Amino acid sequence: MYDSFIKEKIEEIRRVVGQRKAMVATSGGVDSSTVAVLAYRALGDRLHCIFVDHGLSRLGEPEKVAWIYDMLGIPLKIVDAKEMFMEALKGIKDPEQKRKRIGECFIRLFEREAERVGVEVLIQGTIAPDWVESGVGREKIKSHHNVGGLPERIKLQILEPLRELYKDEVRELAKELGIPPEIVERQPFPGPGMAVRIVGEVTPERLETVKKANLIVEEEIENAVETGSLSHKPWQYFAALIPLRTVGVKGDTRAYQDAIVIRAVESEDGMTADVSKLPWPLLSRITSRIFSEIPTVSRVFYDTTTKAPGTIELE
Amino acid sequence: MGAETDLWVPVVDCMGQYTHLIKRRLQRLGVTTGVIPVTTPFGEIREADGLVLSGGAPRIGFEAEKLDNLKDYLDHFQKPVLAICVSHQYLAIHYGGTAGVATRPEYGPTMVEIVGDDPLLEGIPNHITVWSSHNDEIKILPPCFKTLARSTNCAHQIIKHCSLPYYGVQFHPEVSHTEHGLTLLSNFVRICSGYSQGRHTQSCSDPV
Repeated sequence: MYDSFIKEKIEEIRRVVGQRKAMVATSGGVDSSTVAVLAYRALGDRLHCIFVDHGLSRLGEPEKVAWIYDMLGIPLKIVDAKEMFMEALKGIKDPEQKRKRIGECFIRLFEREAERVGVEVLIQGTIAPDWVESGVGREKIKSHHNVGGLPERIKLQILEPLRELYKDEVRELAKELGIPPEIVERQPFPGPGMAVRIVGEVTPERLETVKKANLIVEEEIENAVETGSLSHKPWQYFAALIPLRTVGVKGDTRAYQDAIVIRAVESEDGMTADVSKLPWPLLSRITSRIFSEIPTVSRVFYDTTTKAPGTIELE
Repeated sequence: MGAETDLWVPVVDCMGQYTHLIKRRLQRLGVTTGVIPVTTPFGEIREADGLVLSGGAPRIGFEAEKLDNLKDYLDHFQKPVLAICVSHQYLAIHYGGTAGVATRPEYGPTMVEIVGDDPLLEGIPNHITVWSSHNDEIKILPPCFKTLARSTNCAHQIIKHCSLPYYGVQFHPEVSHTEHGLTLLSNFVRICSGYSQGRHTQSCSDPV
Protein backbone atom coordinates (compact mmCIF):
# COMPACT_ATOMS: atom_id res chain seq x y z
CA MET A 1 0.00 0.00 0.00
CA TYR A 2 2.90 2.37 0.73
CA ASP A 3 5.14 1.14 -2.09
CA SER A 4 4.90 4.28 -4.14
CA PHE A 5 4.99 6.49 -1.04
CA ILE A 6 8.28 4.90 0.01
CA LYS A 7 9.76 5.31 -3.45
CA GLU A 8 8.58 8.89 -3.70
CA LYS A 9 9.93 9.88 -0.28
CA ILE A 10 13.32 8.26 -0.82
CA GLU A 11 13.59 10.16 -4.10
CA GLU A 12 12.49 13.37 -2.40
CA ILE A 13 15.12 12.97 0.34
CA ARG A 14 17.83 12.33 -2.28
CA ARG A 15 16.71 15.29 -4.37
CA VAL A 16 16.57 17.74 -1.46
CA VAL A 17 19.76 16.62 0.25
CA GLY A 18 21.72 16.23 -2.98
CA GLN A 19 25.38 15.60 -2.24
CA ARG A 20 25.12 17.08 1.24
CA LYS A 21 24.79 15.35 4.61
CA ALA A 22 21.58 15.11 6.61
CA MET A 23 20.68 14.36 10.20
CA VAL A 24 17.80 12.59 11.93
CA ALA A 25 17.37 13.31 15.61
CA THR A 26 15.46 10.32 16.88
CA SER A 27 13.44 9.89 20.03
CA GLY A 28 13.42 6.15 19.50
CA GLY A 29 9.70 6.30 18.75
CA VAL A 30 7.95 5.03 15.63
CA ASP A 31 7.78 8.37 13.74
CA SER A 32 11.43 9.35 13.94
CA SER A 33 12.60 5.76 13.54
CA THR A 34 10.53 5.37 10.37
CA VAL A 35 12.04 8.58 9.04
CA ALA A 36 15.50 7.34 10.00
CA VAL A 37 14.96 4.13 8.02
CA LEU A 38 13.72 6.07 4.97
CA ALA A 39 16.60 8.53 5.19
CA TYR A 40 19.16 5.78 5.70
CA ARG A 41 17.89 3.99 2.61
CA ALA A 42 18.10 7.24 0.68
CA LEU A 43 21.44 8.50 1.91
CA GLY A 44 23.39 5.64 3.47
CA ASP A 45 26.36 6.92 5.44
CA ARG A 46 25.58 10.52 4.50
CA LEU A 47 22.94 10.26 7.23
CA HIS A 48 23.96 11.22 10.75
CA CYS A 49 21.59 9.89 13.35
CA ILE A 50 21.51 11.12 16.93
CA PHE A 51 19.54 10.53 20.11
CA VAL A 52 19.49 13.39 22.56
CA ASP A 53 19.41 12.07 26.10
CA HIS A 54 17.62 14.94 27.80
CA GLY A 55 17.09 12.97 30.98
CA LEU A 56 13.34 13.41 30.59
CA SER A 57 12.60 10.04 28.99
CA ARG A 58 11.48 6.83 30.61
CA LEU A 59 13.80 4.83 32.85
CA GLY A 60 16.14 2.76 30.68
CA GLU A 61 15.15 4.61 27.50
CA PRO A 62 18.63 5.57 26.19
CA GLU A 63 19.72 1.91 26.41
CA LYS A 64 16.51 0.80 24.71
CA VAL A 65 16.99 3.28 21.87
CA ALA A 66 20.59 2.12 21.38
CA TRP A 67 19.30 -1.46 21.15
CA ILE A 68 16.60 -0.44 18.63
CA TYR A 69 19.09 1.27 16.32
CA ASP A 70 21.40 -1.68 16.60
CA MET A 71 18.50 -3.82 15.44
CA LEU A 72 17.74 -1.39 12.59
CA GLY A 73 21.39 -1.41 11.58
CA ILE A 74 21.62 2.38 11.66
CA PRO A 75 24.64 3.96 13.41
CA LEU A 76 23.44 6.13 16.29
CA LYS A 77 25.19 8.73 18.36
CA ILE A 78 23.86 9.38 21.85
CA VAL A 79 24.29 12.95 23.00
CA ASP A 80 24.19 13.45 26.76
CA ALA A 81 22.41 16.74 27.45
CA LYS A 82 20.75 16.06 30.79
CA GLU A 83 22.25 19.05 32.53
CA MET A 84 21.44 21.45 29.72
CA PHE A 85 17.73 20.55 29.79
CA MET A 86 17.40 20.63 33.58
CA GLU A 87 19.09 24.02 33.60
CA ALA A 88 16.72 25.34 30.89
CA LEU A 89 13.66 24.13 32.80
CA LYS A 90 14.65 25.56 36.16
CA GLY A 91 11.86 27.70 37.60
CA ILE A 92 9.62 27.31 34.55
CA LYS A 93 6.01 26.46 35.37
CA ASP A 94 4.05 27.39 32.26
CA PRO A 95 3.53 24.43 29.88
CA GLU A 96 4.10 26.47 26.71
CA GLN A 97 7.26 28.02 28.17
CA LYS A 98 8.54 24.54 28.99
CA ARG A 99 7.84 23.30 25.47
CA LYS A 100 9.56 26.34 23.93
CA ARG A 101 12.64 25.98 26.12
CA ILE A 102 12.89 22.28 25.30
CA GLY A 103 12.48 23.00 21.57
CA GLU A 104 15.22 25.58 21.84
CA CYS A 105 17.61 23.19 23.61
CA PHE A 106 16.96 20.58 20.92
CA ILE A 107 17.68 22.96 18.07
CA ARG A 108 20.83 24.40 19.63
CA LEU A 109 22.11 20.84 20.12
CA PHE A 110 21.16 19.88 16.56
CA GLU A 111 22.96 22.92 15.20
CA ARG A 112 26.05 22.22 17.26
CA GLU A 113 26.10 18.58 16.16
CA ALA A 114 25.37 19.54 12.53
CA GLU A 115 28.27 21.95 12.49
CA ARG A 116 30.56 19.34 13.96
CA VAL A 117 29.84 16.74 11.26
CA GLY A 118 28.98 19.10 8.41
CA VAL A 119 25.24 18.43 8.15
CA GLU A 120 22.98 20.95 6.41
CA VAL A 121 19.57 19.24 6.40
CA LEU A 122 17.50 18.11 9.37
CA ILE A 123 14.99 15.37 8.58
CA GLN A 124 12.19 15.30 11.12
CA GLY A 125 9.51 12.75 11.99
CA THR A 126 6.79 15.40 12.22
CA ILE A 127 3.31 13.94 11.59
CA ALA A 128 -0.05 15.62 10.99
CA PRO A 129 -1.27 16.02 14.61
CA ASP A 130 2.05 17.76 15.49
CA TRP A 131 1.51 20.70 13.16
CA VAL A 132 -2.28 20.72 13.48
CA GLU A 133 -2.10 21.07 17.27
CA SER A 134 0.81 23.50 17.07
CA GLY A 135 -1.59 25.93 15.45
CA VAL A 136 -0.54 25.97 11.80
CA GLY A 137 -3.56 27.77 10.28
CA ARG A 138 -5.69 27.20 13.37
CA GLU A 139 -5.79 27.74 17.11
CA LYS A 140 -2.75 26.47 18.98
CA ILE A 141 -3.50 23.67 21.45
CA LYS A 142 0.14 23.03 22.37
CA SER A 143 3.54 23.61 20.77
CA HIS A 144 4.85 20.26 19.67
CA HIS A 145 8.61 20.24 20.18
CA ASN A 146 9.33 19.61 16.50
CA VAL A 147 7.00 22.34 15.16
CA GLY A 148 5.71 25.16 17.36
CA GLY A 149 8.38 24.48 19.96
CA LEU A 150 11.17 25.30 17.53
CA PRO A 151 12.80 28.69 17.65
CA GLU A 152 11.96 31.03 14.75
CA ARG A 153 15.43 30.93 13.26
CA ILE A 154 17.05 27.60 12.55
CA LYS A 155 20.27 27.32 10.61
CA LEU A 156 19.29 23.96 9.14
CA GLN A 157 17.04 23.16 6.21
CA ILE A 158 14.11 21.10 7.45
CA LEU A 159 12.52 18.16 5.68
CA GLU A 160 9.41 16.42 7.02
CA PRO A 161 8.58 13.37 4.88
CA LEU A 162 5.75 12.11 7.14
CA ARG A 163 4.03 15.46 7.51
CA GLU A 164 0.74 14.36 5.96
CA LEU A 165 0.42 11.09 7.90
CA TYR A 166 -1.22 10.09 11.13
CA LYS A 167 0.31 7.61 13.60
CA ASP A 168 -1.73 4.63 12.37
CA GLU A 169 -0.53 5.33 8.82
CA VAL A 170 3.07 5.67 10.01
CA ARG A 171 2.75 2.27 11.69
CA GLU A 172 1.52 0.71 8.44
CA LEU A 173 4.38 2.35 6.58
CA ALA A 174 6.88 1.17 9.22
CA LYS A 175 5.63 -2.40 8.84
CA GLU A 176 6.08 -2.21 5.09
CA LEU A 177 9.60 -0.94 5.59
CA GLY A 178 10.27 -4.11 7.56
CA ILE A 179 10.73 -2.34 10.88
CA PRO A 180 10.39 -4.90 13.72
CA PRO A 181 7.07 -4.99 15.64
CA GLU A 182 8.85 -4.05 18.90
CA ILE A 183 9.37 -0.62 17.35
CA VAL A 184 6.19 -0.35 15.28
CA GLU A 185 4.02 -1.03 18.32
CA ARG A 186 5.82 1.26 20.76
CA GLN A 187 3.36 3.55 22.44
CA PRO A 188 3.61 7.24 21.53
CA PHE A 189 5.87 9.25 23.81
CA PRO A 190 6.01 13.06 23.82
CA GLY A 191 9.22 14.69 22.58
CA PRO A 192 9.51 16.87 25.70
CA GLY A 193 9.21 13.64 27.69
CA MET A 194 8.36 13.67 31.36
CA ALA A 195 8.58 17.48 31.36
CA VAL A 196 4.97 17.52 30.15
CA ARG A 197 4.03 14.73 32.55
CA ILE A 198 4.94 16.93 35.48
CA VAL A 199 2.39 19.68 35.83
CA GLY A 200 4.23 22.84 36.79
CA GLU A 201 7.94 23.07 37.53
CA VAL A 202 10.21 20.13 36.74
CA THR A 203 12.40 19.40 39.77
CA PRO A 204 14.83 16.49 40.14
CA GLU A 205 12.66 14.99 42.88
CA ARG A 206 9.44 15.17 40.84
CA LEU A 207 11.24 13.79 37.82
CA GLU A 208 12.38 10.78 39.80
CA THR A 209 8.86 10.27 41.20
CA VAL A 210 7.10 10.43 37.84
CA LYS A 211 9.65 8.16 36.15
CA LYS A 212 9.17 5.50 38.81
CA ALA A 213 5.39 5.78 38.69
CA ASN A 214 5.42 5.63 34.91
CA LEU A 215 7.47 2.46 34.99
CA ILE A 216 5.00 0.85 37.40
CA VAL A 217 2.05 1.74 35.12
CA GLU A 218 3.87 0.33 32.08
CA GLU A 219 4.98 -2.85 33.83
CA GLU A 220 1.59 -3.63 35.30
CA ILE A 221 -0.36 -2.95 32.10
CA GLU A 222 2.06 -4.91 29.94
CA ASN A 223 2.01 -7.74 32.44
CA ALA A 224 -1.81 -7.73 32.44
CA VAL A 225 -1.77 -8.05 28.65
CA GLU A 226 0.72 -10.92 28.79
CA THR A 227 -1.28 -12.82 31.39
CA GLY A 228 -4.55 -12.18 29.58
CA SER A 229 -6.31 -10.13 32.25
CA LEU A 230 -6.30 -7.19 29.83
CA SER A 231 -7.32 -7.83 26.21
CA HIS A 232 -4.90 -5.41 24.52
CA LYS A 233 -2.34 -2.71 25.18
CA PRO A 234 -4.03 0.70 25.32
CA TRP A 235 -2.93 3.29 22.74
CA GLN A 236 -1.03 5.09 25.47
CA TYR A 237 -0.59 4.42 29.20
CA PHE A 238 1.48 6.38 31.64
CA ALA A 239 1.72 8.23 34.92
CA ALA A 240 1.79 11.99 35.39
CA LEU A 241 2.52 14.07 38.45
CA ILE A 242 0.39 16.94 39.63
CA PRO A 243 1.94 19.13 42.31
CA LEU A 244 -1.28 19.09 44.26
CA ARG A 245 -0.47 18.22 47.80
CA THR A 246 -3.03 16.33 49.81
CA VAL A 247 -3.05 15.00 53.33
CA GLY A 248 -2.52 11.33 53.96
CA VAL A 249 -1.71 9.03 56.83
CA LYS A 250 1.12 6.56 56.41
CA GLY A 251 1.98 4.29 59.32
CA ASP A 252 0.41 6.60 61.90
CA THR A 253 2.25 9.62 60.59
CA ARG A 254 0.93 12.51 58.56
CA ALA A 255 1.80 12.69 54.87
CA TYR A 256 1.38 15.84 52.75
CA GLN A 257 2.70 15.12 49.27
CA ASP A 258 2.17 15.32 45.51
CA ALA A 259 -0.38 13.32 43.51
CA ILE A 260 0.08 10.83 40.70
CA VAL A 261 -2.40 10.54 37.86
CA ILE A 262 -2.73 7.25 36.01
CA ARG A 263 -3.73 7.79 32.39
CA ALA A 264 -4.63 5.12 29.82
CA VAL A 265 -6.42 5.91 26.58
CA GLU A 266 -7.63 4.26 23.41
CA SER A 267 -7.06 5.97 20.08
CA GLU A 268 -6.37 5.29 16.44
CA ASP A 269 -4.64 8.48 15.38
CA GLY A 270 -4.19 10.53 18.54
CA MET A 271 -6.67 13.17 17.38
CA THR A 272 -9.42 11.90 19.67
CA ALA A 273 -9.17 9.46 22.56
CA ASP A 274 -11.42 7.46 24.82
CA VAL A 275 -10.53 6.38 28.34
CA SER A 276 -9.35 2.78 28.71
CA LYS A 277 -11.70 0.79 30.89
CA LEU A 278 -8.90 -0.76 32.94
CA PRO A 279 -10.05 -3.56 35.24
CA TRP A 280 -10.37 -2.50 38.85
CA PRO A 281 -7.87 -5.07 40.24
CA LEU A 282 -5.25 -3.73 37.83
CA LEU A 283 -5.81 -0.11 38.89
CA SER A 284 -5.75 -1.21 42.46
CA ARG A 285 -2.44 -3.05 42.05
CA ILE A 286 -0.84 -0.08 40.29
CA THR A 287 -2.01 2.18 43.10
CA SER A 288 -0.62 0.05 45.92
CA ARG A 289 2.69 -0.42 44.11
CA ILE A 290 3.02 3.35 43.72
CA PHE A 291 2.56 3.86 47.46
CA SER A 292 4.90 1.01 48.42
CA GLU A 293 7.66 1.93 46.02
CA ILE A 294 7.51 5.73 45.89
CA PRO A 295 7.60 7.50 49.23
CA THR A 296 6.89 10.96 47.77
CA VAL A 297 3.23 10.45 46.81
CA SER A 298 0.13 10.73 48.96
CA ARG A 299 -2.70 10.42 46.38
CA VAL A 300 -3.28 8.46 43.18
CA PHE A 301 -6.02 9.35 40.68
CA TYR A 302 -7.29 7.69 37.53
CA ASP A 303 -7.93 10.24 34.77
CA THR A 304 -11.34 9.64 33.14
CA THR A 305 -11.10 12.56 30.70
CA THR A 306 -11.61 11.81 27.00
CA LYS A 307 -9.97 13.84 24.18
CA ALA A 308 -11.82 16.15 23.61
CA PRO A 309 -12.15 17.87 26.05
CA GLY A 310 -8.76 16.79 27.47
CA THR A 311 -5.59 16.14 25.51
CA ILE A 312 -3.81 12.83 26.01
CA GLU A 313 -0.88 14.31 27.90
CA LEU A 314 -1.63 16.66 30.80
CA GLU A 315 0.31 19.60 29.34
CA MET B 1 -18.01 3.08 -5.95
CA GLY B 2 -16.28 3.56 -9.30
CA ALA B 3 -17.76 6.94 -10.10
CA GLU B 4 -16.37 8.42 -6.85
CA THR B 5 -12.89 8.56 -8.32
CA ASP B 6 -14.05 11.29 -10.69
CA LEU B 7 -15.58 13.37 -7.93
CA TRP B 8 -13.93 16.51 -6.65
CA VAL B 9 -14.93 17.27 -3.05
CA PRO B 10 -12.60 19.83 -1.44
CA VAL B 11 -12.52 20.49 2.30
CA VAL B 12 -12.97 24.14 3.23
CA ASP B 13 -10.72 24.86 6.21
CA CYS B 14 -12.59 26.89 8.81
CA MET B 15 -9.54 26.57 11.07
CA GLY B 16 -10.57 23.34 12.81
CA GLN B 17 -8.49 20.72 14.56
CA TYR B 18 -9.88 17.96 12.34
CA THR B 19 -9.80 19.63 8.91
CA HIS B 20 -6.88 17.54 7.70
CA LEU B 21 -8.55 14.41 9.10
CA ILE B 22 -11.64 15.09 6.91
CA LYS B 23 -9.34 15.14 3.91
CA ARG B 24 -7.87 11.81 4.98
CA ARG B 25 -11.33 10.22 5.26
CA LEU B 26 -12.44 11.56 1.87
CA GLN B 27 -9.26 10.26 0.27
CA ARG B 28 -10.02 6.86 1.73
CA LEU B 29 -13.48 7.08 0.15
CA GLY B 30 -11.79 7.53 -3.19
CA VAL B 31 -12.72 11.10 -4.06
CA THR B 32 -10.33 13.77 -5.25
CA THR B 33 -9.96 16.23 -2.41
CA GLY B 34 -7.68 18.73 -0.74
CA VAL B 35 -7.79 21.36 1.96
CA ILE B 36 -8.57 24.91 0.82
CA PRO B 37 -8.65 28.01 3.01
CA VAL B 38 -12.03 29.56 3.79
CA THR B 39 -10.79 32.67 2.00
CA THR B 40 -10.76 30.85 -1.36
CA PRO B 41 -12.85 32.80 -3.93
CA PHE B 42 -16.00 30.92 -4.95
CA GLY B 43 -14.91 30.93 -8.58
CA GLU B 44 -12.12 28.48 -7.75
CA ILE B 45 -14.47 25.85 -6.35
CA ARG B 46 -17.52 26.43 -8.54
CA GLU B 47 -16.84 23.20 -10.43
CA ALA B 48 -16.57 20.99 -7.32
CA ASP B 49 -19.04 18.10 -6.96
CA GLY B 50 -19.53 18.71 -3.28
CA LEU B 51 -18.05 20.71 -0.40
CA VAL B 52 -17.22 19.76 3.15
CA LEU B 53 -16.98 22.77 5.45
CA SER B 54 -14.82 21.98 8.47
CA GLY B 55 -15.32 22.91 12.09
CA GLY B 56 -13.17 25.60 13.64
CA ALA B 57 -12.29 27.79 16.57
CA PRO B 58 -14.27 30.93 15.60
CA ARG B 59 -17.10 31.57 18.06
CA ILE B 60 -20.36 31.83 16.18
CA GLY B 61 -21.78 34.55 18.46
CA PHE B 62 -19.09 37.15 17.86
CA GLU B 63 -16.61 35.90 15.26
CA ALA B 64 -18.92 34.60 12.53
CA GLU B 65 -17.47 37.22 10.16
CA LYS B 66 -14.27 35.15 10.00
CA LEU B 67 -16.32 32.65 8.03
CA ASP B 68 -18.20 35.15 5.89
CA ASN B 69 -16.79 33.80 2.67
CA LEU B 70 -19.09 30.83 3.24
CA LYS B 71 -21.99 33.12 2.31
CA ASP B 72 -20.84 33.14 -1.26
CA TYR B 73 -20.49 29.36 -1.34
CA LEU B 74 -23.91 28.76 0.19
CA ASP B 75 -25.66 31.33 -2.04
CA HIS B 76 -24.23 29.99 -5.28
CA PHE B 77 -23.04 26.42 -4.96
CA GLN B 78 -26.40 24.58 -5.02
CA LYS B 79 -24.63 21.19 -5.02
CA PRO B 80 -24.15 18.98 -1.91
CA VAL B 81 -22.60 20.69 1.12
CA LEU B 82 -21.72 19.06 4.43
CA ALA B 83 -21.13 21.67 7.12
CA ILE B 84 -19.49 20.43 10.32
CA CYS B 85 -19.60 21.99 13.81
CA VAL B 86 -19.09 25.76 13.54
CA SER B 87 -19.97 25.60 9.83
CA HIS B 88 -23.17 23.77 10.78
CA GLN B 89 -24.01 26.69 13.06
CA TYR B 90 -23.08 29.14 10.31
CA LEU B 91 -25.38 27.33 7.91
CA ALA B 92 -28.34 27.88 10.25
CA ILE B 93 -27.49 31.56 10.75
CA HIS B 94 -27.10 32.14 7.04
CA TYR B 95 -30.67 31.02 6.41
CA GLY B 96 -32.15 33.13 9.19
CA GLY B 97 -31.71 30.93 12.24
CA THR B 98 -29.76 31.80 15.36
CA ALA B 99 -26.78 30.24 17.13
CA GLY B 100 -24.88 31.08 20.29
CA VAL B 101 -23.25 29.77 23.44
CA ALA B 102 -24.50 26.26 24.20
CA THR B 103 -26.54 25.89 27.36
CA ARG B 104 -24.77 22.57 27.89
CA PRO B 105 -21.72 22.25 25.64
CA GLU B 106 -20.72 18.73 24.64
CA TYR B 107 -17.20 17.28 24.53
CA GLY B 108 -16.20 13.70 23.82
CA PRO B 109 -18.74 10.86 23.78
CA THR B 110 -22.29 12.00 23.02
CA MET B 111 -25.41 9.86 22.49
CA VAL B 112 -27.22 10.93 19.36
CA GLU B 113 -30.72 9.90 18.32
CA ILE B 114 -31.62 9.87 14.65
CA VAL B 115 -35.09 11.37 14.19
CA GLY B 116 -35.32 11.79 10.42
CA ASP B 117 -34.99 9.74 7.29
CA ASP B 118 -32.49 10.78 4.66
CA PRO B 119 -29.97 9.25 2.25
CA LEU B 120 -27.25 10.78 4.46
CA LEU B 121 -28.27 8.42 7.26
CA GLU B 122 -28.51 5.19 5.33
CA GLY B 123 -27.11 2.24 7.26
CA ILE B 124 -26.80 4.23 10.48
CA PRO B 125 -28.65 2.89 13.55
CA ASN B 126 -31.12 5.13 15.40
CA HIS B 127 -28.87 5.53 18.43
CA ILE B 128 -25.15 6.12 18.03
CA THR B 129 -22.33 7.39 20.20
CA VAL B 130 -20.49 10.18 18.47
CA TRP B 131 -17.60 12.47 19.43
CA SER B 132 -18.37 16.16 20.01
CA SER B 133 -16.35 19.25 20.79
CA HIS B 134 -18.48 22.37 20.71
CA ASN B 135 -18.96 25.44 22.88
CA ASP B 136 -21.79 26.86 20.75
CA GLU B 137 -24.95 25.48 19.21
CA ILE B 138 -27.89 26.28 16.94
CA LYS B 139 -30.59 27.98 18.97
CA ILE B 140 -33.33 28.51 16.40
CA LEU B 141 -33.45 26.46 13.22
CA PRO B 142 -34.53 28.43 10.16
CA PRO B 143 -37.92 27.34 8.70
CA CYS B 144 -36.35 26.00 5.52
CA PHE B 145 -34.44 23.36 7.53
CA LYS B 146 -35.42 20.19 9.30
CA THR B 147 -33.69 18.30 12.09
CA LEU B 148 -32.49 14.78 11.35
CA ALA B 149 -30.80 14.00 14.68
CA ARG B 150 -30.59 15.34 18.22
CA SER B 151 -28.94 14.63 21.58
CA THR B 152 -30.04 15.30 25.17
CA ASN B 153 -28.10 18.55 25.29
CA CYS B 154 -28.31 19.65 21.68
CA ALA B 155 -31.59 19.85 19.74
CA HIS B 156 -30.01 20.06 16.29
CA GLN B 157 -27.23 17.52 15.82
CA ILE B 158 -27.90 16.95 12.11
CA ILE B 159 -29.90 19.32 9.92
CA LYS B 160 -30.89 19.39 6.26
CA HIS B 161 -32.12 22.16 3.99
CA CYS B 162 -35.61 21.40 2.64
CA SER B 163 -34.88 21.99 -1.02
CA LEU B 164 -31.10 22.24 -1.36
CA PRO B 165 -28.66 19.37 -0.69
CA TYR B 166 -27.16 21.27 2.24
CA TYR B 167 -26.46 19.34 5.43
CA GLY B 168 -25.16 20.40 8.82
CA VAL B 169 -23.67 18.13 11.49
CA GLN B 170 -22.85 19.39 14.97
CA PHE B 171 -20.67 16.42 15.98
CA HIS B 172 -17.55 15.19 14.16
CA PRO B 173 -18.17 12.34 11.70
CA GLU B 174 -14.50 12.52 10.64
CA VAL B 175 -12.96 11.35 13.94
CA SER B 176 -12.39 7.66 14.55
CA HIS B 177 -14.36 7.59 17.80
CA THR B 178 -17.63 8.60 16.13
CA GLU B 179 -19.63 5.44 15.45
CA HIS B 180 -20.66 5.20 11.80
CA GLY B 181 -18.86 8.46 11.05
CA LEU B 182 -17.31 6.98 7.94
CA THR B 183 -20.74 5.69 6.85
CA LEU B 184 -22.11 9.22 7.08
CA LEU B 185 -19.23 10.62 5.03
CA SER B 186 -19.56 7.80 2.53
CA ASN B 187 -23.30 8.54 2.20
CA PHE B 188 -22.45 12.18 1.59
CA VAL B 189 -20.02 11.18 -1.14
CA ARG B 190 -22.76 9.05 -2.71
CA ILE B 191 -25.11 12.05 -2.58
CA CYS B 192 -22.42 14.12 -4.36
CA SER B 193 -22.06 11.36 -6.92
CA GLY B 194 -25.83 11.27 -7.49
CA TYR B 195 -25.87 15.02 -8.05
CA SER B 196 -22.99 14.96 -10.45
CA GLN B 197 -24.88 12.39 -12.47
CA GLY B 198 -27.99 14.60 -12.43
CA ARG B 199 -30.02 12.43 -10.10
CA HIS B 200 -31.23 15.10 -7.73
CA THR B 201 -32.90 14.01 -4.53
CA GLN B 202 -35.76 16.12 -3.20
CA SER B 203 -35.74 14.81 0.31
CA CYS B 204 -38.34 17.21 1.74
CA SER B 205 -41.02 15.16 0.01
CA ASP B 206 -39.71 12.08 1.84
CA PRO B 207 -41.74 10.94 4.83
CA VAL B 208 -40.00 11.97 8.03
